[in-house]
Amino acid sequence: MGKLTDKLKQYLKPGYYDKFDYHWTMTIDLDRCTGCEACVVACQAENNLPIVGEKRFRERREIKWLRVERYWEGEYPDVKLRFIPMLCQHCDQAPCETPCPVAATYHNQDGLNTQIYNRCIGTRTCAVYCPYEVRYFNWFSYTWDEPLEQQLNPDVTVREKGVMEKCTFCIQRIRQAKDRAKDDGRRRVRDGEVTPACVQSCPAEAMVFGDLNDPESRVAKLAKNARGYKVLEELNTAPSIVYLKKVNPDG
Amino acid sequence: MADYREPAYADVNRDILQTMLVTGPRYWIVFGITSTVALVCFFLPWIYQWHVGVGAAGMNRNAVWGTYLSNFIFWIGLSHSGTLLSAVLHITGSGWRKAIYRSAEAMTLFSLMTAALFVMVHLGRVWFVHWSIPIPNPMGLWPNFRSPLLFDVMAITTYLVASSIFIYMGSVPDYAAVRDASTGLRRRLYAIFSFGWRGTAQEWHTLGWAYTFFAVFVIPLAVSVHSIVSWDFAMSLVPGLHQTIFAPYFVCGAIYSGTAGIVTVMYLLRRCLNLERYIREIHLDNLGKLLIALSLVWSYINILELFTGWYSGTSYEYEALRFKLFGFYAPLYWEMITFCALVPLLIFWKKIRLSWNRMFVISILINIGMLTERFIIVATSQPRKFLPAAFGFYFPSVVEIMITIGSFAVFATLFLIFIKWTPCVSIYEVKETLKPLRRAA
Amino acid sequence: MAKNILALFQYEDDFLAAAAKLRAAGFGHITLMTPLPMPEAEKLAGLEKSPVRRFSLIGAIIGGLSGFAMATACALVFILPTGGRPIITIPPFLVITYEMTILIGVLSTLLGFHIVSGLPAWRDAPYRIESNIDRFSIVVGFRPEDDSALAVKILREAGAGEITHWEEPE
Repeated sequence: MGKLTDKLKQYLKPGYYDKFDYHWTMTIDLDRCTGCEACVVACQAENNLPIVGEKRFRERREIKWLRVERYWEGEYPDVKLRFIPMLCQHCDQAPCETPCPVAATYHNQDGLNTQIYNRCIGTRTCAVYCPYEVRYFNWFSYTWDEPLEQQLNPDVTVREKGVMEKCTFCIQRIRQAKDRAKDDGRRRVRDGEVTPACVQSCPAEAMVFGDLNDPESRVAKLAKNARGYKVLEELNTAPSIVYLKKVNPDG
Repeated sequence: MADYREPAYADVNRDILQTMLVTGPRYWIVFGITSTVALVCFFLPWIYQWHVGVGAAGMNRNAVWGTYLSNFIFWIGLSHSGTLLSAVLHITGSGWRKAIYRSAEAMTLFSLMTAALFVMVHLGRVWFVHWSIPIPNPMGLWPNFRSPLLFDVMAITTYLVASSIFIYMGSVPDYAAVRDASTGLRRRLYAIFSFGWRGTAQEWHTLGWAYTFFAVFVIPLAVSVHSIVSWDFAMSLVPGLHQTIFAPYFVCGAIYSGTAGIVTVMYLLRRCLNLERYIREIHLDNLGKLLIALSLVWSYINILELFTGWYSGTSYEYEALRFKLFGFYAPLYWEMITFCALVPLLIFWKKIRLSWNRMFVISILINIGMLTERFIIVATSQPRKFLPAAFGFYFPSVVEIMITIGSFAVFATLFLIFIKWTPCVSIYEVKETLKPLRRAA
Repeated sequence: MAKNILALFQYEDDFLAAAAKLRAAGFGHITLMTPLPMPEAEKLAGLEKSPVRRFSLIGAIIGGLSGFAMATACALVFILPTGGRPIITIPPFLVITYEMTILIGVLSTLLGFHIVSGLPAWRDAPYRIESNIDRFSIVVGFRPEDDSALAVKILREAGAGEITHWEEPE
């Protein structure tokens, strides 16, 4: 009887998980970010992002799981430019997960907001509900001209038309790291063993990725930084990405 | 009308059955036009979209919802007409509903079917739409009932089933009348449809009770259906959509648009099927009063929306309001206000309210305004949420416009089929409004 | 072989008076047919509250329970937490419960209608086309010991129009 009430309590607990197995978090230091967009290109290469072509790009149908947003301040010649890489925040209270009618997106035990491509029926409700606009829809079935198809990553699927996609924190790399850790004798994944493509490619090392549950990890220490903030925190989405504010020398 | 002579019972049967049993060339021409337009403007573009991808529509990265959903909401809204007229006014015992409720219920049913079609058109991978239904499947996966879209699936299924049963049950005695007035195949078919109805006291008694219970079930259902449709939007965080007023707003808008639809359909039925003796000024008068009441409520809710947006004090809401009122789609917004809030004020004047032609025009303008309103909800809020660098823009494509036009043709075709399949005015209920046949006069 | 007579009345007060007199004279198998619903006729036939309401109530209760059960079962069979919400989320499941209450209630009422009214009844029964247009009809069924002439006399006195004899095939 006790076990039944315990189970019931678990089912009624918001979020269901008591603690995430790994709480994958990213910090992005806006002071170090140069806006070079190497991360954008790396993400496109790693995750088989479709090349939509110029025509579709002009129709605002680009698929960029990670984009660098630009905000201009001031008038010429005192123009200041701020940029912020925006990717799926893997919110712990994700507004996009609840409205999917077929449960194609859900929160897994690692704190990741996962997208299951072959379950998606394309209602696009998740994209409407996402305040960060980080979900991208395959409006057509895209193809890669020769020889670009040889560059496709065999660890990642290719999505057909009608399917929603977004940043997965390179879940294929996380899976591989976990498998390797298991092969090595059931140890946990160590800090620094798994890096998503964007983190790996950043020349300024502005992005740091790791497990927030591990107090010794770089990311756990950086997340406590005084400059740290979360985008659109007031919406209570509980994002997993901590941005470190750019230090403004002019005060 | 000065020279209105009350029809005799036999006249009622004859006049109304004639609309069903006698089909002239005019009907076939109109039917041909609507079914061709439906095929060419609705189904062909849809097949093209099925083949190419939803990108055939004008939606893009920011505005992932477009006219397919706004039309869906419009058609569901239109479907509330029949429920209000048929069910609510049945419970309140009002007599003027009797001649017009059958066609209103038919409007409900066919609007729902058109709306369901729009859901299919909207989906990215329509061939998997059955995954949203809780049926046993080899994957062992079940739909996510926390989703407002699933509430939608349940609500619309229930509404379709309930409306079909409602209209069918109410028509059984009339199917008996058709059976009695026809020969050959039609007689055999309607003998089956009418279940061997004879009109015994037991049958009427049971039908009356069952019908009342259907009405009692259908009224809260109708309120819930459009509330649920509104929650597709209101449960999001999008500024301008995330408001609790959305449920009453949509329900009120639905009944409003539906009642205007009834006026339009009644005008056409009256003209084209010679039903002047049955659809009379009292109906127009009462429908007009209903319209003006709903128009005032609708205007109030719109003012509330503006007020709560302004009162919130957040930059997101201000920007959403500013774009709605003064941005690219401002002409559409002000057109909506004109057609739905200002033009119906004319109905206060009896001269306008009792004129069939003027009310027909007003009802069409109201529905144009309501269609625009749905579009504005979808097109102005979604592309511009919180992050200005991510703001986008939405404009419908040719495919979408064709499908919108085609949907009206689909509805018209279904309604034209209905006219020939069921008496569009309820024979027995009209008899109830006539003077009782008593020897002691 | 059962015998029936079907009498057509042009006026409803004649019709109701004749029905009352036939009842008083002891003829049990009387069927009243009208082209429109007539509460007075239903009262004469002894019909008060219809059992259909029980079907509606039971259907609604079953619908409500099964709606909640269905939503909960779907959520528990394959646990996919979404949006920081619990697995068994009460507010959405209440909406599902509500819709299923109405759906099963409506279907159950439909079933109740068919069972209580006895429809469909596609057999050959005493009926005339005028009964569904503008005549009120009384069908009197006779057992062999009944006095059919008395019934005909009552009907004629009350103002019946045509009286047809029906021999119902066995």
